[in-house]
Amino acid sequence: MPSTSKVIAIGNVLRADIRGFVIASRIPEPEVPTFGTFVRAPIQHDRAQLIGLVYDIRLQDDPFLRNLAVTVRSGDPAFDEIIADQRDNRVIPVEISVASVAYHYPDDPQCRYGLPPQPPMILHQITVCASEEVHRITRSPDFMRALLDNRDIPADELIPTALLRAAPLHAKAEYDFLLDAGRYLARNLGRDPARLERILQRIAWA
Amino acid sequence: MCVQQLAGSGAPHIMVTMLRIERLRNDIAELSRLAATAQRRQLEAVQLARRWWDELPDAVDLRTHLEPLLQESAGMAPSWSGGVPATIAPPGEPVSRPITDLKGLIAIGVDGSQIFPDRHALALYYLIQVGAVIFRYNGGAPGVEVREWLHYKEEELFDEQDYLIGSEALGQERMIKEMEVLAELSATEYQGPDSPVLGLTDGPLLWPYVQRGRSTGEKLGTYMKALKSVQASGAIPVGYVDRPGGRPLLDMLWASRLAGEDLGEKWSENPLQPLDDEILMMHLLAPGEHTTWFTRPIPTNTRHAGAGQEIWFCYQRLDGPDQARGGHPTIARIEVPSWAVIGEAPLAPMHAMLLHQAEALDGYPYVLARAHEEALVTTLDKAALEQSIQRELFGAGIWARASDKARQKLLLGRR
Repeated sequence: MPSTSKVIAIGNVLRADIRGFVIASRIPEPEVPTFGTFVRAPIQHDRAQLIGLVYDIRLQDDPFLRNLAVTVRSGDPAFDEIIADQRDNRVIPVEISVASVAYHYPDDPQCRYGLPPQPPMILHQITVCASEEVHRITRSPDFMRALLDNRDIPADELIPTALLRAAPLHAKAEYDFLLDAGRYLARNLGRDPARLERILQRIAWA
Repeated sequence: MCVQQLAGSGAPHIMVTMLRIERLRNDIAELSRLAATAQRRQLEAVQLARRWWDELPDAVDLRTHLEPLLQESAGMAPSWSGGVPATIAPPGEPVSRPITDLKGLIAIGVDGSQIFPDRHALALYYLIQVGAVIFRYNGGAPGVEVREWLHYKEEELFDEQDYLIGSEALGQERMIKEMEVLAELSATEYQGPDSPVLGLTDGPLLWPYVQRGRSTGEKLGTYMKALKSVQASGAIPVGYVDRPGGRPLLDMLWASRLAGEDLGEKWSENPLQPLDDEILMMHLLAPGEHTTWFTRPIPTNTRHAGAGQEIWFCYQRLDGPDQARGGHPTIARIEVPSWAVIGEAPLAPMHAMLLHQAEALDGYPYVLARAHEEALVTTLDKAALEQSIQRELFGAGIWARASDKARQKLLLGRR
């Protein structure tokens, strides 16, 4: 299993509720997390870790860039350094929305799936989950429960993305992992076959 | 509360303010009327100033003519603080340089920001942060450096009279830190005359603070030391003053019209008072042009000169010939140490570099705008820092919180 034990901080909590939270972040473009990234936030005075999935990334208005856009000519060598600066160095103000899926306590090997007892507090730092942690959370398909119940997020896109991101971490049982997930979804979406088919097709096509 | 409907394209936009704008309407109208009158007076003064500018004597004659004022400047108060030609170049002739190849040049932009000490905060401290962008003209991404200093000891927080240090003391310290960071980075970047290093600071290079007490003198000494370190590194410090106020060249113009015997009595009766140098330069300089170098014989500059760091200045118009800015010229005052103009240092590409830097950002150097962005301590940064301090204090058994007044202001300020 590839390890990503390096701690990647992506920003601080801007607002939160039980079902999720929003992170305000100013980080260079290469470090902006992608849709479906597992992240964690400290909750209950750092006694537990809340795990969530990134489901929306909004680039905020940037008047500085707007100004440059009308003066700098891409391809003109006179602006090579400025364009490189914007792409490689400059922090982008972004708001990253995260849906809660599980939480765990440091002394307890079991993950608690579903919504946490408390949201993370404002300005607490959010980090990207290491691959070991993603493996641990996705050992049970129950991590999808809170996503299926959340009508405010693009769950039908988010679930397949999260499954496909986690599957390689279950190296020897990748097929079984996806099969278990499919069975779980079939049980929970039995009354909504169209939605079930939509999600399963996205997993199958990938 | 005041509800206003704003005109514009599309759907009408309603703006709600707490300010009773309707009660201020007469004052707003009077303000506009006065501004229009001032503008008319300025236009008349500009005509006169342009004529005098064209009739300026050559640099040597002008300097000889101004000599009595320079003597007075050195001794008596109130002193004349006009500009004096620093070189033998004709003072009234703008200089135009073609854009040269900037390959190999390194421009370092440095700027700072701070959190002021606040009695209502959860802890008494202040912070200075300096950001620097190293813009190497080699096609690659610039380097970025940020340094920060947190001050919280009693001897750092209070001045000689036991007052909590204010914005002036913090401004002095910030100016020193910016120059020290520039010296540190210049020493690393300068590799020889083929790759000249120009260090831009946002503001004057000339120490702008009046000496009050021992502390200011010590700080000026530290600043001089930092300027000398930049010089020793091989780099050239450049002060960039956007929207320059002041009228040293207008005072020089007026003095040039006075007979020698009237200089002592009439230098303060300048009829060009409605103007400042920036307005005059808007009418004199064509896009890309700059003036020759001038100096100011004021006490602070004399102290600079004593340390081998006399500051000279020129004005440059930074909207290039290819740029359309709705007819609004951008004038900046550029300050450098005299050794940079007199010596062998490669100052020639400086004006071209400034034009290139200003082209991208509509008249303001890109490298300084980015340095400001890197240096800026945002509200979110401040909140995160204070939360971290609060956590640490809590761990030490201290329950610290902002004052009730500060917390209420924060809540109201969010509206």
